[in-house]
Amino acid sequence: MRRFSIPLASPDKQLQNPSPELKLDRDQCGRFVILSFAPTRRFVSIGCAALAPKSELWFVTLLTNWWKLEMSGQKLSTEEILAQIRGGASAPAPQPAAEEPAAPEPAAAPVVEEAKSTQSAASVPAPTGTADILASIKSGGATAKPTAPAPTGTSDILASIKSGGAAKPEAARAAAPTGTADILASIKGGGAAKPAKAAKGKPAAEAKAPVDTAAASGMSAADMIKAARQGPGKPVAVVGLAEPAPKPLALPKKPLKPAAKPKAAGKGVPRRGFLETCVATICSPVFVAWSSLVAATAVSSLAMARFMMPNVLVEPPTKFKIGPPTDYGGGTVSTKWKAQFGVWIVNSDVDGEQLIYALSTVCTHLGCTPNWLEGEQKFKCPCHGSGFYKSGVNFEGPAPRPLERYGIRLAEDGMLEVDKSVKFQRELGQWGIAASYVPV
Amino acid sequence: MNPHPDLTSSVLHGLGWYYLILFTMNLLWTFRSFKVDGEFDKSTPVVGGMPVATVWAVLSSILLMLSAAHFTGGSDPAKFVIRLPEWFKNPVDAFFADPVVYFAGSVGLFGAMIWFREWWIKESVAWSMLQGALIFMGLSLSDYDFRQIVGKPDNVPIVAMLFIVSFLTWIYFKRAVENDKRIAEGRPLVGSDDNDKVLVWPDLVYIELICMVVLTAGLIFWGVALEAPLEEPASSVKTPNPSKAPWYFLGLQEMLVYFDPWLAGVVLPGIILGGLMAIPYIDFNKAGNGYFCFKQRAFAICTFMFGFFPLWIALIVLGTFLRGPNWNFYGIYEVWDVHKVKAANNVNLSEFFWNWPVMSSFFGGLPKGSSLFTILLRESPGIILIIGYFALLPPILGLTILRKYFVRMGVLRFLVFSNLALWMAILPVKMLLRWSFSLKYIVGIPEWFFNI
Repeated sequence: MRRFSIPLASPDKQLQNPSPELKLDRDQCGRFVILSFAPTRRFVSIGCAALAPKSELWFVTLLTNWWKLEMSGQKLSTEEILAQIRGGASAPAPQPAAEEPAAPEPAAAPVVEEAKSTQSAASVPAPTGTADILASIKSGGATAKPTAPAPTGTSDILASIKSGGAAKPEAARAAAPTGTADILASIKGGGAAKPAKAAKGKPAAEAKAPVDTAAASGMSAADMIKAARQGPGKPVAVVGLAEPAPKPLALPKKPLKPAAKPKAAGKGVPRRGFLETCVATICSPVFVAWSSLVAATAVSSLAMARFMMPNVLVEPPTKFKIGPPTDYGGGTVSTKWKAQFGVWIVNSDVDGEQLIYALSTVCTHLGCTPNWLEGEQKFKCPCHGSGFYKSGVNFEGPAPRPLERYGIRLAEDGMLEVDKSVKFQRELGQWGIAASYVPV
Repeated sequence: MNPHPDLTSSVLHGLGWYYLILFTMNLLWTFRSFKVDGEFDKSTPVVGGMPVATVWAVLSSILLMLSAAHFTGGSDPAKFVIRLPEWFKNPVDAFFADPVVYFAGSVGLFGAMIWFREWWIKESVAWSMLQGALIFMGLSLSDYDFRQIVGKPDNVPIVAMLFIVSFLTWIYFKRAVENDKRIAEGRPLVGSDDNDKVLVWPDLVYIELICMVVLTAGLIFWGVALEAPLEEPASSVKTPNPSKAPWYFLGLQEMLVYFDPWLAGVVLPGIILGGLMAIPYIDFNKAGNGYFCFKQRAFAICTFMFGFFPLWIALIVLGTFLRGPNWNFYGIYEVWDVHKVKAANNVNLSEFFWNWPVMSSFFGGLPKGSSLFTILLRESPGIILIIGYFALLPPILGLTILRKYFVRMGVLRFLVFSNLALWMAILPVKMLLRWSFSLKYIVGIPEWFFNI
């Protein structure tokens, strides 16, 4: 398998954009297959100006039409090709005059097919078009020119595209005088301006030819592109030549410039009333569909929100009795309420005073549940190794602060009552508060 | 009778199969070595040439005998002699149970991996290392506690990960070293011949298909052979001991031991992700694009690998195999004793500073109180240290040892880069400080939940 990677533009280092690159490959039958095609913006803009996109499906239409055209094997003029590609085979264009050496014929084809990066280039039977293009692509602009059977068309265009400004005059001279200018005019003017020139057939065209050539050769590539971008409205030198000619071709009209449209429409059509517009909007299927979706979502969100507030809350009470103080002997840590309520009841000597207090079983590092290790007399967290003294003060591992105490009091019936709704933090100086302990 | 015997007849049977597989591997390797290396390597200074294939043949026969011994020795496992002696286990335990030694060892291994890369990428060397690891594992499996950790279905992927990561690293270094050589000699690089094209159909698609089938089959086999360890129902008041994160998060869990949750759980992971995303914008080195190399990108590769091997893989291994009950360190042959006492009284930097004899004689110890000023005064040494670390180190580094990078990167990029690097360095720094000085927090303000 041989692979080609062909820059379509000259390796001119001054060019700002990278050259459009066409990567080709030969398949098993020796046909060319386009591997990848990376057009530059300049290249695309020329292509698009020539193609005049009509709708979202312009690309598909273009491809099908182009394919039909290529398969038909007809030898057509530029105008016909463009017309067919754009609008189907509605109006076959008349042949250009005999004097015109059919110069611009395949002109649009390469632009079109390259710009659109269609699948196959070499397999199409069009006698002059593709093979020439490929030959010229392959061998570079200068060498391709003499070999190409239709010297004016393809190679010129490609050369002009390829080499930017420098190669253009040369190409124009080698070709029939009208070549480049025509092509540009056709590109520029879309459907409207082009037929004029191509179908002219008058001696006028011939007479003007030198001028034409001169004009074309005088233009740099940038100028031509600019002209191509500006479209039919602007009087540019080349278009000026074609202007007085009639328009014999019944080409489908190029869509008007979007800017011009609303103005024309705004004058003719009466304005609808505000109310009418509102009603029309509300009744439109899109509006109805979206608003029902929003409404349904909103209702289900409300249901979700309601779910957050259950009717019955299965939770242990925040206040509970844990038996008389005598159940908790001096110096012990009781773990019997750990599973049910998440508290340790500690009876310990704090600064010379024997106190009973309730410690939370939540590690102050990341909320795991530490274990009371009787042998080591410490609470130890299995997750990250935080350790707490019997008092709840952290001393090892990553825990940043002591365990929290819950409220505890001696109830009227002599039982201890823990209140989990309040908590006391040592680092905030709250362990001195009387509600956080019961003296024994 | 010992309820946890090191060897049982079923273990011996399994080890017999294990050594039989090793024997087969080495037998095939012997054939390969005989073809490729020859029986003797004449280029070495050993008289008559260094035996190459012969060594593998001898190893294979030893493995076959080992296998036979394990298969036949099942009648009285208690008296079976091939097991690890205590004099070997105890130093290994001491090595692994001491995080400083373990971490220093992993960093040292990382350095050796880079330094001796041209040596260990050789196929014979790599094969020797693989066999060494496998035989070490086989011998260690004769230990009850080792078996408990390594054989746990949870931990099988970690063991596999060790071998897979080693293999992929080996492949990388093999190609990189080869390309480094080619760059030095000006020859074309491996892998740069047909760089931008992949043959998709059927080449790549078939490979993918085969990978898919093999992987699926492997997963099914795994799912059938190893049962998922189901535990008791979850309870909010009972945490399993030890309580471990999924294996891939064990590095994060390890970070949580040294930093506050907001830092280790939010900021540091965010910086890891953000930093990885920032690499393309920081990296100014255009070399190494699309081919393997080491020398052209030595700094970038070493930095990344340091973050990956010692700071991620080694921490996963640490968390999986060495962290036991109460999140203590245990050696690989050590019993997971819930009551192992390891003093870990950690002290904040502020306490170190203000209780330092010189300071305490002047100022009377740690400033007490909870007013804004007292808190800031108390933590001022740590705050100054942190600000100095992140604000002063980058310019100092940029003007001295990292000058080359500063010039190439420009101010902003260099500041981002150096701060990311400093964030990466803060983890090992803090780990070592904790392990060696029991330093808890450099800045510790529990009143505001702000600890660094």
